[in-house]
Amino acid sequence: MMRRYKKPLVLAAEFVLLTAISLFFILPILWIVASALRPSGPLYTYANPLTLQTFFPTTVTFDNFVHIFNNLHFGRALLNSLLVAVATIAISVLICSMAGFGLAKFAFRGKNLFFFIVLITFMVPFESIVIPLFVLVKRLNIDNTYFALILPAAGNGLAIFLFRQFFSEVPTEILEAARIDGASWIRIFRKIILPLSIPAIVTVIVMVFMFQWNSLFWPLIATHSSRFEVVQVAITAHRSTEDTSWANLFSSAIAGSLPPVILFFFLQKYFVRGISGTGLKG
Amino acid sequence: MFRSNRAGWFFILPAFVFLGLFKIVPIGVSVLESLRQTTYTGRSYFVGFENYTYLFFEDPTFWNSFWITLIYSLVVNPLIILIALVMALLLNENHFFTKFFRTVFFLPTAISFAVVSVIWSVVLDPHYGLANGFLTLFGLPAQPFFASTAQALWCLVFLNVWRSAGYWMMYFLAGLQNIPESLYQAADIDGASAWTKTRKITLPLLSRTFAFVLVANTAFNFLTFAPVYIITKGGPRGSTNLLMYESYKSAFVNLDMGRASAITTILLGIILIFSLFEFKWTKAGFEY
Repeated sequence: MMRRYKKPLVLAAEFVLLTAISLFFILPILWIVASALRPSGPLYTYANPLTLQTFFPTTVTFDNFVHIFNNLHFGRALLNSLLVAVATIAISVLICSMAGFGLAKFAFRGKNLFFFIVLITFMVPFESIVIPLFVLVKRLNIDNTYFALILPAAGNGLAIFLFRQFFSEVPTEILEAARIDGASWIRIFRKIILPLSIPAIVTVIVMVFMFQWNSLFWPLIATHSSRFEVVQVAITAHRSTEDTSWANLFSSAIAGSLPPVILFFFLQKYFVRGISGTGLKG
Repeated sequence: MFRSNRAGWFFILPAFVFLGLFKIVPIGVSVLESLRQTTYTGRSYFVGFENYTYLFFEDPTFWNSFWITLIYSLVVNPLIILIALVMALLLNENHFFTKFFRTVFFLPTAISFAVVSVIWSVVLDPHYGLANGFLTLFGLPAQPFFASTAQALWCLVFLNVWRSAGYWMMYFLAGLQNIPESLYQAADIDGASAWTKTRKITLPLLSRTFAFVLVANTAFNFLTFAPVYIITKGGPRGSTNLLMYESYKSAFVNLDMGRASAITTILLGIILIFSLFEFKWTKAGFEY
């Protein structure tokens, strides 16, 4: 990749602009982190009037974090969410990439109907189908299991749509050549299509992970044993109308937000132009 | 394009089964439910389009929610997409600070909507909140935020931009990397300015990603629920009573499943219309 140099002045202006935008994102988070690192006490003590203490606590303690892991089983909630997310990703990437390929490269009977179904499913409000979905899950006898958390999220219209968009760009000639060489469709899919679609797969992994990691409403309804408690259920359990434990709420919110941040940090190299290179164009 | 019923169905079948079972069946049940009414004894019977005609002609609460949802969407969607696009363009090339800022912008997305709502409800607290701390520091008058009918909806917009912009930035970054470097090199040789390159190369080649983000983001925002549920409960005086929350209230507070399902079906219809319009506008999506 040839490096393109920008004028230092332009770069400095970009840096200033980015810093300004990032303050807007980071200040509330900094305050939450500071609140979680303080010995537990009233929340608003340092918020207004504003002092340096608002963002940098004088006494730093990890007691709040130790407490949620040792006494409130937050580790179990993290593992549950991780298991659910990984299983959903595995199923989702496989079936959605297949469907995206089918839609992008094949003409077959019922295609328009299927494409319509795909579009509908990512536009439908999840909250509106929760009750019929729960009735269904109960009838399938998988309520209050991991399956109830994993299976309904595995088919993802958005992911199929994304894969379809991506595969449309793969030149049909490559596939025709492989067909003439006698390759089966499964082989073509595994050896040509999947390796070319790393950026799309990474995007879908992040998307499905975020969806499962952040889901609250469905796990609340579909499971009731504490054995299956997921991260968001554990976090929001600390907020109640009578007595909100801010120390527990904020420390678990921070601990629960770290896995997606770490995931994004490591996967973002796939979002840099020119490094992974799809080899399709140019 | 290959003509083959067998291969085509082979590849879509697993997804078809999952979507059919866990999405289409419940949607169907929900639409059917919108044609029924439940009595206080729990028996339900078929009423045709009565739920709909009631909503359209005799239900001011519905119309209030309808307009609020429309205004909210028309403001929040362009705002999120514009900010996400600017952030992605600023962070597309690799400089020493790129990785850091990308992660910072992505941070709010890592926090669930429920927790984000809790955070902003305390940050924007009218008496003790951090936001008013800042305003006082700069000598500005404290604001009521979620406590005021004039400001609550805009606070909701603000909260959503804060949470979602980094998420869509990720899609734009992924789209940007599919633009071949050679195009920019050719433009450099021709002496094109950065602005010209952005306008003539980047934006046109980003149109597929743009269409995707536009449609998906619009659909998501029509369904905004968690912040309303956690912070405002639709108030003050109905000023943040978005359709999704009104439907939820119908279903779980007033136990009127027919009305709730009718509202979500209407919402689905609105989203479909918007999506079709957006697909047409961006000329993407439907061409095979």
